[in-house]
Amino acid sequence: MDSLNVVVAGVGGQGVLTLAKVIGEAAIASGRGALVAETHGLSQRGGSVVVHVRIGEVEAPLVPEGEGDLLISTELLEALRYASFLRREGEVVSDALVLKPYGFKGDLKAYQLAEELRRLGLRVHLVNAAGMAEPLGDVRAANMILLGYSVARTALGEFLDAREVEGVIGRGRGAEVNLKAFRLGLSMRAEG
Amino acid sequence: MSYPEMLSPAGSRVFTLGNVAIARASLEYGVGVAAGYPGTPSSEIIEALGYAARKLGYPYVEWSVNEKVAFEVAYGAAMAGVPSIVTMKHVGLNVAADPLFSSAYTGVESSLLVVSADDPSMWSSQNEQDNRIYGLHAYVPVFEPAGAQEVREATLEALRFSEEHKHPVILRTVTRVSHTRALYTFGELRGPRMEGRFQRDPSRWALVPAHARRRREELVKKWELFSHHLSSSALNAAEGPEGSELLVVGAGIGFRYAREALSRLGLLGKVRLLKLTTTVPLPRELIASELERKEKVFVVEEGEPVVEDQLKLLSFDLGMRPLIMGKRSGHVKLTGELRLDAVAEGIASALGLSSLPREVRKPSLSPPPRPPTLCPGCPYRGVFYSLRKVASKMKLKLIYSGDIGCYSLGINPPLSSQDIIVEMGGSLGVGAGLTRAVKDAVVVATIGDSTFYHAGMPGLVNAAFNGAPMLVLVLDNGTTAMTGHQPNPATGHNLRGEARRIPIEEIARAAGASSVRVVNSFEMEELDKVVAEALTDARGGKLSVLVARGACILEAVAEARESKIQRPLYYVEQDRCRACTICYNLFACPAILSSQDGKAKIDPSLCTGCGVCVDVCPFDAILPRGEVEESWRRLLSGG
Ligand SMILES: Cc1ncc(C[n+]2csc(CCOP(=O)(O)OP(=O)(O)O)c2C)c(N)n1
Ligand code: SF4
Repeated sequence: MDSLNVVVAGVGGQGVLTLAKVIGEAAIASGRGALVAETHGLSQRGGSVVVHVRIGEVEAPLVPEGEGDLLISTELLEALRYASFLRREGEVVSDALVLKPYGFKGDLKAYQLAEELRRLGLRVHLVNAAGMAEPLGDVRAANMILLGYSVARTALGEFLDAREVEGVIGRGRGAEVNLKAFRLGLSMRAEG
Repeated sequence: MSYPEMLSPAGSRVFTLGNVAIARASLEYGVGVAAGYPGTPSSEIIEALGYAARKLGYPYVEWSVNEKVAFEVAYGAAMAGVPSIVTMKHVGLNVAADPLFSSAYTGVESSLLVVSADDPSMWSSQNEQDNRIYGLHAYVPVFEPAGAQEVREATLEALRFSEEHKHPVILRTVTRVSHTRALYTFGELRGPRMEGRFQRDPSRWALVPAHARRRREELVKKWELFSHHLSSSALNAAEGPEGSELLVVGAGIGFRYAREALSRLGLLGKVRLLKLTTTVPLPRELIASELERKEKVFVVEEGEPVVEDQLKLLSFDLGMRPLIMGKRSGHVKLTGELRLDAVAEGIASALGLSSLPREVRKPSLSPPPRPPTLCPGCPYRGVFYSLRKVASKMKLKLIYSGDIGCYSLGINPPLSSQDIIVEMGGSLGVGAGLTRAVKDAVVVATIGDSTFYHAGMPGLVNAAFNGAPMLVLVLDNGTTAMTGHQPNPATGHNLRGEARRIPIEEIARAAGASSVRVVNSFEMEELDKVVAEALTDARGGKLSVLVARGACILEAVAEARESKIQRPLYYVEQDRCRACTICYNLFACPAILSSQDGKAKIDPSLCTGCGVCVDVCPFDAILPRGEVEESWRRLLSGG
C-alpha cells in the first residue's frame, strides 16, 4: 500500500485537530507525503468535528466516502457518524466514550454502537482512552492514547515511525502528559 | 495563537496550513502593509502576519473593523508604492466591492493582493458565492492556487504580477486550500518595503467622471494585455499527449481532483491535462493552442462554472467547437465542494466509460445530530433567557431580528431567539423594516460587538434618524468570538497591543438613540429589571438600546488561569432541588444534567463557574463551593 486514507473525528474541544495535525507532521517526519484537511469555525463550540488525513503521494485533500482505511474517533457516536467514509474491512479505533448531544433524550450504549459498526463489516477497536487519560492529569490526552494504539495495532504503524511521532509530540504543548499517553497507547494489547 | 514557522530560516521544510503559507509568502515578498477582517476560512493569514510583526517589528498589520476599510487601508498604502495585502472570507468581498471596482480603474503603484477565501459547501458561511466572478466583473485578475500545495508559489507570483502591472490581483482560495496542511519549503525573508511616496496625480487617483472615462478605456486595453501575459505564466502547465482528443482542465484546486481522478481511471498520461492557476481572465494564447484539435474538453473547478463559461466564449470566438463539459453539462454538481469520487465519476460518464466500483455502507442506526451550541457559561445564555422570560411576563410578542456571530447559536430551542439571520449587520436594517410592517410585535435586533462596528453602526444611525421603534440588544463580549477571538474596538486593545476602547454605549448616545442602557450579562436580577425597562421603551415607540456586557467565557477562563484567579464551582443541593427542570430544560446550560429522579446535577468538568444558574433556580438549590472571588466577578463583567 502506498497511501493511507485516515479520517479523524470527535467532538469540538476533544483535541481532534491536534490529533490530525500530529499524524500529518509525523508522516512527513517519517518520509511520507501528507495532506490534512481541517474544518474550523462552526465545527467547534461542542459540535461534531471531522478532519481528513491522507498519507502518501496524494493530490486531493479529501478522503472519498467508502475509501477510508482508518477512522480514529475520540467519541463513539462520532465514529458512527463518519463510518460511511470507510471501505469494507476498514478499521475503526474509537474511544468507548459516548457523549450524548445536548437535548438528546434517547439511550445509546457503547456496545450497541460498536455492534452497529461491526455490522458494516468494519474492524472495530474500542479503547477506554478517556478513562485511561484521566489519571495522567488531562482527559484530553485521550487523543494521544488513541494515536499510540493506532500506530501499534493498525496500518497506520506502517506509515508512521513511532519515534518520529514522539518527536512531534515532544515539540508540542503539554508534551510530558501527551508523550506518556502516546506510549500508554502504544503498549496496549489488542482486545478481543 | 502562535505561528513560529513564520520566522523559520530559508530552506526550512514546514508542514503548515495553506493560510500560514500565504502569510509567509507575503512576508518573503516584502509586503509592508497587511489588513483584514476575520472570517472563516481566511483568518489565520492576518493572525500569522500579526505574530511575525510582533516578533520582527514588521510589516504593519491590522485587524480593521470591516472588509471595506481593510481593503482601503491596503489600497491606500499600495497607491503610495508599498506592497500590500488584504484578506477576507468570500462574503467580505461584498462589503469591500466598492473600492475593489475603483482599484481596477486607478491601479496601484505596487502590489495590491486581495485574498478571498471562498467556502464551497458552506462549512461556516451563509452562502456559496464564487468570487472569481468579481474578478470578471471588476477587471481584476484572479490567481487560484492548485491546492494547498501550490499556495506559496501562487501568492508570490500574484504579488509579482500585481506589482509589475500596477494592478490589483485577487488570490482566490477555498476552505480546502486555506485550511489544508501541506509541506512547504520556505524562501528567504527579503525584508519589508514599508515606506512609499504618494505621487500626486488627480487624473489617476480622483475618479470624477471625466477621469474615470479615460481610465475605463485604459482598463479595457489592460485586460487584453493581461490575458496575453498570463499565457506565459509558469503557474499554468500542461501534461500528457498534445494530440489527445480530450483536454481536461483543472482550475485551481480542481487540478488536484482532476489529476488524481485521471490516475484512478488509468487515463493519466494518456489524455491532455491542463493545470490552470490564472483563471481570470483566461490566458488566451495558451487556451487557443491547447484547444487545437480537441474534440472534448472537461473542466474541473470549485464553485461556479467560471472557467467553463469563459472557455465556451473563447472557443466560440476562435471558431473552435469542442464539446465542453463540466458543471453546465451536469457531469459535476453545481452545489457543494468537489469530491474525488464524484469528479472521477463525472469524467468517466462524459467519456462513456463505466465508472469505478464503489461501495458506501451507511449505518442503519443514524447518530443524533450534534450541532454547535453556546458554551456552558456563555454570557448570551442568561440574556436570551431573561428576554424570553420578561417578554412573556409582559405579554409581548417578540420578533428576533438576528445577526451573525456566536449568538446565532441562540437559534436552537429552547432559547429560540434568532428568527432571522441574513448577513453581518443585517439585524438593524431588517429590524427597522419589520417595524414598518408589523404592528403586533416588538422587534428586537440582536447584534454582537464586532458586528456592531462592522456594519451595525450605519443601521443604528439610520434607525435613530428615521425613528424606528425597536430594541437594539448589543451583545458585547469584548471579542470576535465566532472566528477565533480577534480584537475589535470593544476589546480594549488592537492587534498590535495598543490600548484602545471605543464604547458602544457612547456611540449609541451620540447616534441619538432615545434610551441607552448597559447591563452585566451575568447578573440575572439586574438583567430582568433592565430588560423590562428597555422593552417598555421599545413598545412605547422608542429606539431603545441595551448593551449587555459580559466576557466570552472562553476568554475569561483563559485569563483566570493566566492570572491565577480561582474560579468557583457550583453544585446542586439535592435536598432543595424540586426537579422543576427549569435549569436544564429552559435555561439549557450544557453543564447541567438531569438525574434519574429529574433532579439537576452539575458536571464539574463542564461547569465554568459563571454562576448564572444560581438566580435561574427558583428554589435556591444551586450554590457555589466556597467563596466567589471578587476578581472573578470583575473578569466576567468584562469591564
Ligand atoms: C461580511 C462578513 N465578514 C465576516 C464574516 C465572518 N464572521 C462570522 S461571525 C463574525 C464575528 C462575530 O463577532 P461578534 O459580532 O463580536 O460576535 P461573537 O462571535 O463574539 O458572539 C464574523 C467576523 C461574515 N459572516 N460576514
Ligand atoms: S465562544 Fe464565547 S461567545 Fe461564543 S458561545 Fe462560547 S462563550 Fe459564548
